[in-house]
Amino acid sequence: MAHVETKVAAPTKSPERGAAAMQLKGVAVSFHGRVAVRDCTFDVTKNRVTSLIGPSGSGKTTLLRALNRLHDLTPGAKVAGQILLEGTDIYRGDITVTELRTRVGMVFQRPNPFPTMSIYENAVSGLRFNGVKKKSILDEAAETSLKSAALWDSVQSRLKVAASNLSGGEQQRLCIARALAMDPEVLLMDEPTSALDPIATLKIEELMTELKKRVTVIIVTHNMQQAARISDDCAFLLMGEDRAGELIEFDTTEKIFNNPIDPRTLDYTLGRFG
Amino acid sequence: MSDMTELAEPVETGNRMRDEIRSISNRARARRQVRSRIMFALCAVALLVTAVPLVLLLFQLFNRGLPVVLHTAFYTQLPQTPTLITPNATGGVSNAILGTLVLTLYASVMAIPVGVLVGVYLAESDSKLAATLRVISQTMAGAPSILMGLFAFSFIVRDLHVGFSAIAGSFALAVLMLPVIVISSEIAVRGVPHTLREAGLALGAKPHKVSMKIVLPAAVTGIVTGIILAMSRAIGETAPVLLVIGGGYINSWKPLDPVSALPLSIYENAKSEWPSLRTEVWGIALVLVVFVFVLSLSARIWASRKQQAR
Amino acid sequence: MSIVIPPPPDFTTHDEGLAEFNSASPSRSWYHYLLILASIVFAAMSVGFIGTILWNALPEFEHHTGTLLGGNGWQSPAGPFGGLAMIVGTLETSVVALVIAVLIGLGTSISIVFLLPRRFRNIVATLVELLAAVPSVVYGLWGFLVLAPWMLKTVIPWLNSWPFAKDLFGNPGQQDGQSLLLASIVLAVMILPTFVAISREVISVVPNDLIEASLSLGATRWQMIREVVLPTAKIGLFGATFLALARATGETVAVALVAGGVANVQFHLLYPGTSIAAWIATEFGEAQGNEIAALMALGVLLMLVNFGLSLISRWLVSRQRKVLAVV
Repeated sequence: MAHVETKVAAPTKSPERGAAAMQLKGVAVSFHGRVAVRDCTFDVTKNRVTSLIGPSGSGKTTLLRALNRLHDLTPGAKVAGQILLEGTDIYRGDITVTELRTRVGMVFQRPNPFPTMSIYENAVSGLRFNGVKKKSILDEAAETSLKSAALWDSVQSRLKVAASNLSGGEQQRLCIARALAMDPEVLLMDEPTSALDPIATLKIEELMTELKKRVTVIIVTHNMQQAARISDDCAFLLMGEDRAGELIEFDTTEKIFNNPIDPRTLDYTLGRFG
Repeated sequence: MSDMTELAEPVETGNRMRDEIRSISNRARARRQVRSRIMFALCAVALLVTAVPLVLLLFQLFNRGLPVVLHTAFYTQLPQTPTLITPNATGGVSNAILGTLVLTLYASVMAIPVGVLVGVYLAESDSKLAATLRVISQTMAGAPSILMGLFAFSFIVRDLHVGFSAIAGSFALAVLMLPVIVISSEIAVRGVPHTLREAGLALGAKPHKVSMKIVLPAAVTGIVTGIILAMSRAIGETAPVLLVIGGGYINSWKPLDPVSALPLSIYENAKSEWPSLRTEVWGIALVLVVFVFVLSLSARIWASRKQQAR
Repeated sequence: MSIVIPPPPDFTTHDEGLAEFNSASPSRSWYHYLLILASIVFAAMSVGFIGTILWNALPEFEHHTGTLLGGNGWQSPAGPFGGLAMIVGTLETSVVALVIAVLIGLGTSISIVFLLPRRFRNIVATLVELLAAVPSVVYGLWGFLVLAPWMLKTVIPWLNSWPFAKDLFGNPGQQDGQSLLLASIVLAVMILPTFVAISREVISVVPNDLIEASLSLGATRWQMIREVVLPTAKIGLFGATFLALARATGETVAVALVAGGVANVQFHLLYPGTSIAAWIATEFGEAQGNEIAALMALGVLLMLVNFGLSLISRWLVSRQRKVLAVV
């Protein structure tokens, strides 16, 4: 693998930590006793893009899915430690899992719009699930979210068309709109561009930079350059000898890529393994 | 990029949406959760309801049939008609047992070779003939079995002047078994990884030798499973044989003689006025069901054992 | 009972190793010819099957189609042979059986896929297979000797306690419990495995992605099933329905044993009736000449209905695959 030094431009404002949208304290995930990822402690700051980077198998996706309690679906999965959303423990605190998921949205690796629903229905599906029925609200949410996903222009004339008619990149933006319609506080993105072509990827990356004004974004990516381009903070995870991932270092992107503390971080960003 | 300028300024509308969603009361949420639980509970009930008939049926079969099947006379004697003096003299069902074996044997001889070969052909060919045969076999597999009886009556019993006989019944059963064997053979051959075939061809072997010596042996498990299932079905069917085998009251191997069969004797005696015959019928049913279950389960075990060996 | 045959995989792609059949190669082996011979035999048998029954039924269709389709009352041995009672009986029993089987079967499939822990799935799959393997005559026997008395003792009095029951179901006052309703119930038990086998398969291949996406939006598990899984699987579920209906129309001895064998158009389900298949089975033994032709004609009707439903089911299941391929 070629040694590519990824330089990140110095940020324009000082990396003062604002309020934390989510806080992770000693988070570990295990499946039937086998630890998949552990020792994750860091704060996700509001209105910033935090990326989880690291080679495959380092537990990035596993960690991400703990943040909206998706592991509840997996028998044998246990999440240890504490995850706080605006101070509330998402597992043990006073918040139902359905409410949590309206405040923490998710976009998946492969675009997955609901195939039997139209574009409009996909966009408002979250609101419908949560009992919102008034057409005026749904219409408004559809328009706002589709605009936020930079999709409104191309679909506004064909909202009733089946979602499967869109291209891959458009479908993914529809999925982003679908998540945004819930107006979440945090948006989790699991390698959202890895299944897309470069142009679609670029569009979505631009989107993320705009999105962070309104939501906090946590993104898993195996593409270092992408992380360097779009994220403000970086968490670097690595698979340990016992095949469990652990957090090696967490800092601003600028620091991670230009001046990391841990030598393993440096090795990764220099492309020495991957 | 032009579409980026479409991004709405978030502040007001965003908060309205958030407010709308936050205002969804916990009670509404709880209600949806409860409804979810209730619906799943109903689904679980449905699952139990599905299991109930089988359990009840097995219970009745063993309860009423077990005493009957524990006498050797049941297997060795020919049936007798009870009389007022001897209301319990039902004899046995040796003719039906033999008849079922005979029918299944002849039917298998007719159906297996043709069925397997056609299945192999369908797996290996692209032609229109193959596509048509595939539709035909799937449609015939679901056809009402009484129609096979009509076919056998018209063709064998009447037009060929063979009369009511074992061979007529076997013919009807063969027509029944063929589509099943064709379909499962095709699935079995297609299940063989094509890398196996390609390896053989790459070594320079002729295509038909590759099929016969490499692909077919690998598909044997699936083919045998299909045959067992087809036989299991043939053993239990009444309608195809009802019209054509004549209900023979003697033990006979001969194809041209009328024979009986286990399902037929159940059908004939179920509505008998004699309680002893109505009881005996449970014994016959028990034998039939055990036979069919053993075949079905063996097919399953055989299929999965070979899977593991792979 | 028939063996449940799951919908076959999509057989439209071939790999290049099949040059033997797919090229215009001049060197055809004896193997090739043997396979073609077997295929011709099979094709001939199938054509003979359809043709023989049609040919035998022709006299009846030439002269008495109206009576066959619309007449009530079957007069052996010389006619008129009215098939309306059988047609109506087939429709009634099959549809009622279908409704019962679909409701219970859907709940069962959902339970199997979404409620049962993985290790129980094998046991339940075996259970369903065994249910399907029980011969229909045994179901008929059980229906006649066990369910019929139970219907008489328990169900009918209970039904009669509803105010509108007598209008809907009739009040037979008969003593042996054989009825169209009983036939429907027995049929429902028999077609349940067919429906469960296919619907379970169709539901379980809905991509996990979609399930996770809906839950991530805050849906409850049931909302996920109702709004995402079932609509996505809808076409395949219709395929399962049509196949189960096809099976129900073709069932012979079970219906013959419990429906009562009365050739009279009947809309009150507690009264006895018959179906096409059951009537052929009961009347054929004593039939001669014209009556045989009439019974064969009934057979043609049955064949048309059954084949039609089967083909529709096939088409639906293949359409379902396309829906998932796009996702």
